[in-house]
Amino acid sequence: MVGPTASISNLNRADGSASFKCPTTGYDVLGAVNAPIELPTRRDALKPEEATVEVFVKPGTTTAGVGERYIEGILRSVLGKVVLGREKGFPRRGVVITLAIVGGGNVERGDSYLTILPALLHTSLLALLSASVPLSMTFAATTLGVTISNEIIRDVSPRGAKAAASLHALAFSSKGHLLLNESQGRFDFEIWEAVREQALFICQGAAVPSADGDVAMDEEADRTHLDGFIRETVEDQIHSEYNWKVDSV
Amino acid sequence: MRPVGKAKWPKKVDFAPLTGAGFASITMSKEHPLSNPERDFILDALRQNVRLDGREVDQFRPLNIAFGDEYGHVKLQLGKTNIVVRISAEVTKPHEDRPFDGLFNINLELSAMGSPAFENGRSSDLEANSTHILDSVIRHSNALDTESLCIIQGVSCWSIRADVHVLDYDGNLTDAACIAIMTALQHFRRPDAVVKEGQVIVYGVEDRVPVALNITHKPLSVTFQTFNDGTHIILDASRREELASEGELVIGINNAGDMCFLSKFSGAPVDALAIVNKTTVALERVKEINALVDKALKADLAQRSKQGMADESRAENDR
Repeated sequence: MVGPTASISNLNRADGSASFKCPTTGYDVLGAVNAPIELPTRRDALKPEEATVEVFVKPGTTTAGVGERYIEGILRSVLGKVVLGREKGFPRRGVVITLAIVGGGNVERGDSYLTILPALLHTSLLALLSASVPLSMTFAATTLGVTISNEIIRDVSPRGAKAAASLHALAFSSKGHLLLNESQGRFDFEIWEAVREQALFICQGAAVPSADGDVAMDEEADRTHLDGFIRETVEDQIHSEYNWKVDSV
Repeated sequence: MRPVGKAKWPKKVDFAPLTGAGFASITMSKEHPLSNPERDFILDALRQNVRLDGREVDQFRPLNIAFGDEYGHVKLQLGKTNIVVRISAEVTKPHEDRPFDGLFNINLELSAMGSPAFENGRSSDLEANSTHILDSVIRHSNALDTESLCIIQGVSCWSIRADVHVLDYDGNLTDAACIAIMTALQHFRRPDAVVKEGQVIVYGVEDRVPVALNITHKPLSVTFQTFNDGTHIILDASRREELASEGELVIGINNAGDMCFLSKFSGAPVDALAIVNKTTVALERVKEINALVDKALKADLAQRSKQGMADESRAENDR
């Protein structure tokens, strides 16, 4: 199976940016983060002691509609928890995340938006990391589909989503905590539990943290799960950015 | 770009002469304004016919055109201005008053991705201005033959939509978007549709060879910025130069030299002869760019057909 590809800091004007491409679903998402930034319209924020996280999803070939607003709400609630909005320089400011779907199919009206959710989450996370926004943790997300015969399929394509009995988007923090759980369709708790286990395996691999929170590092295992993929992408970027230093030593 | 105090486009305002650093507070969007020394530096350098990046007065920044996987997906870089254009097609009902015409829309939305000065979901002057120019140059000049998009008169037609995503904004958005849209329109292939017994059948890309759009001519916009009371006119200004400029002059022209758009919205008056001269410059540039676009399109087409052949032979082997 072909894994996703990602790159960091590919735009000039935005504070941080990332692009993420998932070959199985075909989505190609470009994300930009501006933070901390003055929000002229949010002077009197509801929570003045925190930064306001704003998410904007721009579909590739249509105008943003109800579906985009819905997915923006989910992204805002997840990322709002992860961003440390009380760090110095962040209160009363904004963390503006712009996500443009630059490649792949559109999510048609009436189709499920959960298929694109992991791509959007990963792009935002990488863009936030690229903008050096303080985060409490990293995370990985996946969407699993359950067919009528209770078979779990990973990285559901929009076409596969139509045939699936239920869809589940789950995100796990780097420490294995469940951050997001959005489900659609008919399913019972046993199915959900099986989905959760499978999703945890996809996001974290076998490296389930021990009681003291330490994660066993294994180079080989890193490449097979999403958390390792995020880690590797950032490592590669840091390596290329500090190349001058490595060479001079 | 357009140093008109509070006036909103398209309201015409009387030009008030601006002198020296007196218009330091004027900005077109909320881009960070230039400092006075920076502005003076740009203007002084122009008096000596020198530009910030060492270009000639009538020279474009390096243009790079790449294509995405699907048809009508163009990635364009003009200097540091970075744009993605995607074309999409769907079958809809034509307008009541124009039953023979298909629909064609250009959608340009500036998001905070292009520049921190752009606010998400809020339209700005720059956006309205660019959209107006693009509409005039491409849409109203009928560059895309909308009549060829008709499927059944008054019942169904193709609706073509061009979406412009601004990834990096570094000046001259309009020209970059214009080149990208024209390239994308030439690159795009719509699914074949056939009318059988009053029913429209749209064939998938796998079933029938998709059809190219009918392009009648290839107009492009060429934007000049004026400085020092209209004495210095430069082509393809970068963001910094735009911030220091007094006014813009936009010329929409095609390969044959047919002018489809000319605008001098605001700013210091420009000598009529200068405009005539710049029109000649614009024609030269348009020819050059169109040649470049054709070359890029040909290269991409050749690669695609090669890939298509490879795919076909692979399918044969599978059997």
